[in-house]
Amino acid sequence: MRHGLLITAVATVTVPGLLAMLAVVGHEHVAAEAGVNAASLDGTPLSGPFPVAPATARAAVRNNIAAVQRADGVPVTVFNRVTVSQKVEGMRLLDSAAAASLSTSYHGTELISQSSVDGSVKTVSQVWHQGGGVTLVETSDTTSAAARPANVSVASSDPASESPEGVFGVTKSLMALLGKHYVAVDRGGGTAVGRKAAVVDLYRFDGSLAARYWLDKQTEVPLRRELFGTSDEVISQDSFVQVKFGALAVSQIAGRGAILAQSHASDQSVAQSAWVAAEPGQILTSLAGKGWPVPGSLPGNLPLYAAASANTASGEVVDLEYSDGLYVVSVFAQRGTLAAKMPGWRQVNVGGQQAFVSGHSVTWAVPGFVYTVIADAPPQTVTQVVKALPRDNSPGVLDRLGRGFIRIARAFNPFG
Amino acid sequence: MSHLGELLSALVDGELSGAELDRANAHVAACGACRVEANALRRLKHELRALAEVNDSNDITRRLLAMGSLDGPPGLAGPGASVQARQLGRERGPRRRVRATGERSMGDPYSYSGLPSGRLPGRRRGRYVLWSTLTLVVVGVGTAFGMGGSSGSTGPQITPQLEVYDVQHAITSGDVPFDDPTDVPARVPVVAATP
Repeated sequence: MRHGLLITAVATVTVPGLLAMLAVVGHEHVAAEAGVNAASLDGTPLSGPFPVAPATARAAVRNNIAAVQRADGVPVTVFNRVTVSQKVEGMRLLDSAAAASLSTSYHGTELISQSSVDGSVKTVSQVWHQGGGVTLVETSDTTSAAARPANVSVASSDPASESPEGVFGVTKSLMALLGKHYVAVDRGGGTAVGRKAAVVDLYRFDGSLAARYWLDKQTEVPLRRELFGTSDEVISQDSFVQVKFGALAVSQIAGRGAILAQSHASDQSVAQSAWVAAEPGQILTSLAGKGWPVPGSLPGNLPLYAAASANTASGEVVDLEYSDGLYVVSVFAQRGTLAAKMPGWRQVNVGGQQAFVSGHSVTWAVPGFVYTVIADAPPQTVTQVVKALPRDNSPGVLDRLGRGFIRIARAFNPFG
Repeated sequence: MSHLGELLSALVDGELSGAELDRANAHVAACGACRVEANALRRLKHELRALAEVNDSNDITRRLLAMGSLDGPPGLAGPGASVQARQLGRERGPRRRVRATGERSMGDPYSYSGLPSGRLPGRRRGRYVLWSTLTLVVVGVGTAFGMGGSSGSTGPQITPQLEVYDVQHAITSGDVPFDDPTDVPARVPVVAATP
């Protein structure tokens, strides 16, 4: 009896400790691979267990772990032990960051690293943003499975409230969704890109860590974001490598914008597509009436939150945006079939569907339609999304033969 | 002087012996007509043997010979030889050889009996039926498979405009766009939707 109690006590203390050590080692390994500036939480490296309870852990287990952490004097990392004020402050910080991303002028270099269905993708971008005005982005890809051009420049305007732009996925519309699907927790102070930052953790309802944000203390603009999978693995890292805030950035935009304008004027090969926003519910009804099969939500708890359509050279394209506030999946549907040759794309099997992938994009054809998915989401989620969307359910051999014999019989039926 | 008659054929075939053989040989030595006939028979026998041996390995020819040995058209070596032999009053040699490869029964001149080649027409007919059935099945299944495919129009051929989609996705996701894929020009001017 005593031995049993002793073993239980030892296991209760040592197992969480071992899990914590594994998590520390894992996070340190990922950080070293990423090669970005290390961020910290008020002197304590942010590489600890966040949280130690796995996503599949039952509430009782999570509570036990939280009790052990509290007894050991270490920070309690299980979200259901987090105080209400921390949650409120966490969400407030993110809302402020969304607003600051629009109103603050800055110029910086962003390093984006993502895991996608096509492997790891890294992109370095130069970003100029004028507070309440234009954003200029020059992107150069660093590594990707597919061969990509050396440089892509994008000019976009994001004034007023209708523009959804932000930094590292921190936009007003997405933050509204975030509060419904995650729990934001203020984790105190930290540093990123050599600047003081407020650290906000985002937890799933099962207690697992979903994301961590570093928000600039002075401007509240996001400096860094890490996304974690359900197994605590890092699936995405977005970070400023260097950033400057204030009037200096605005002065640089003018010169850069002129260069881009000249380049755009000389390039007529790409048609300007004017997207017309539509109310998601209405566009679903409208598409259903036209025989366009699109779902109202996607696996991974991703509801349809925005929609738009545009007329392109190859016909009407419908854009459906699904998100839980953290992961964003854009589905572009268009009538037609895929071209015989797809340069730059790689043919793979995604969830049983023969598709083409390039970076974080997946495209496939079903009879009469082409679907293209661009996802900032874990590869597993993308696979589920592809499974949930219309697929090429071509009949099997027997079905096809049966249909063929019926058609032959009808063709020779003298009474038909 | 009486000639050898049927004994001449027996002499040529080596079927005589003893006093009969001596008497026959003596007669042939003295009778020019019988000597000429004996020589003709030996030559004919030699030719028929040579012909039968050459064609023995050819199944089709053997069967043709078998068909023609009794009532086939003139001109073929076997039947011709058989007729000649009958005219000579002796048909054992060639007929025996012909019978060894295939012979019609006397009761039914059109039926074959007792020999391996007698089963061939039935097997051939079976093959015809088998191949005809297989051909019909293949053609039918192929036609059904072809007609069973999708009949709806698939619309225009499309290469997704990722340069446009990426920017739209970036605007809605609040992140910078990725530069997909290879056919994107070096610089892509895209202006987002404005209020």
